[in-house]
Amino acid sequence: MTMSPRVRKFALIVHLTFSVGWIGAVVAFLALVFAARSSQDEQTLRAAWLAMESVGWFAIVPLAFASLLTGLVMSLGTKWGLFRHYWVLISLVLTILAIGVLLSNMQTVSFFAGVAAEMDSADAGELRGGLQGELLHAGLGLLVLLVIQVLNVYKPQGMTRYGQRKQRRARRRSKHDEQREVSVSQP
Amino acid sequence: MAGPPPNRDTVDDTGVGPDRGSTTSTPRWVKVFGIIGIVVVLLIVVVMLVGGGGGGHGPSRHAPSGNAAPSSVTEVQVPSGGELGGHTPPSGVPDHGSQ
Repeated sequence: MTMSPRVRKFALIVHLTFSVGWIGAVVAFLALVFAARSSQDEQTLRAAWLAMESVGWFAIVPLAFASLLTGLVMSLGTKWGLFRHYWVLISLVLTILAIGVLLSNMQTVSFFAGVAAEMDSADAGELRGGLQGELLHAGLGLLVLLVIQVLNVYKPQGMTRYGQRKQRRARRRSKHDEQREVSVSQP
Repeated sequence: MAGPPPNRDTVDDTGVGPDRGSTTSTPRWVKVFGIIGIVVVLLIVVVMLVGGGGGGHGPSRHAPSGNAAPSSVTEVQVPSGGELGGHTPPSGVPDHGSQ
């Protein structure tokens, strides 16, 4: 089922908002990681971990799922399809992978946020050590999101075998319909 | 005079329609993507094996050896003991005991 141009435009705005919002939330997360790494103040370190947990669960995770959902609607509601073009398929795979790693990493963030909330200064070293992993996760996550964004804007050429089969079938059907129309109009 | 540009709404947001790209072979950029993907996956596996992470994500990687990681934040245990973990009061606090 393909959407009308007006509905498609609206769906695109929603999808873009969630997707760009996801990138923005990851940048905010990275800013907290940098702030915690550059500060010697223990309170800043603890506050950063608590803020990272909030940004993760209340911004990044919901935006990630909203982006995936609206992306599915966009691809299934247009002629691009979900499995017909390589750029759509790769974007989908990368998005699902990113969400999987995100959910897994958020367990770690929640763990450290819990440690930070306990206010025991003996854990400061552990909290500082955990930042390295967050820098890696958020940095690579941002890179993956930017790759997906580039794919979505440039839409590089290339159809999957499934897409080619679908296209051939559609062409055959339209040719068949044309021939039938001609035979009906010429008794 | 050139006419108005075609309505992009009828094509798509970049002016490129979905009906292009009917070449049968896999495009070069997909192959490059695949190679990069395989290299990245291998790198991650090597880093996990060398780093001793056991290939797992989550808080268990950060738990001290011998202790299982808590399954939730609420289960995080505060180190117990009456000696304040070897902590000394801040330098600004006067030591009344010596007076």
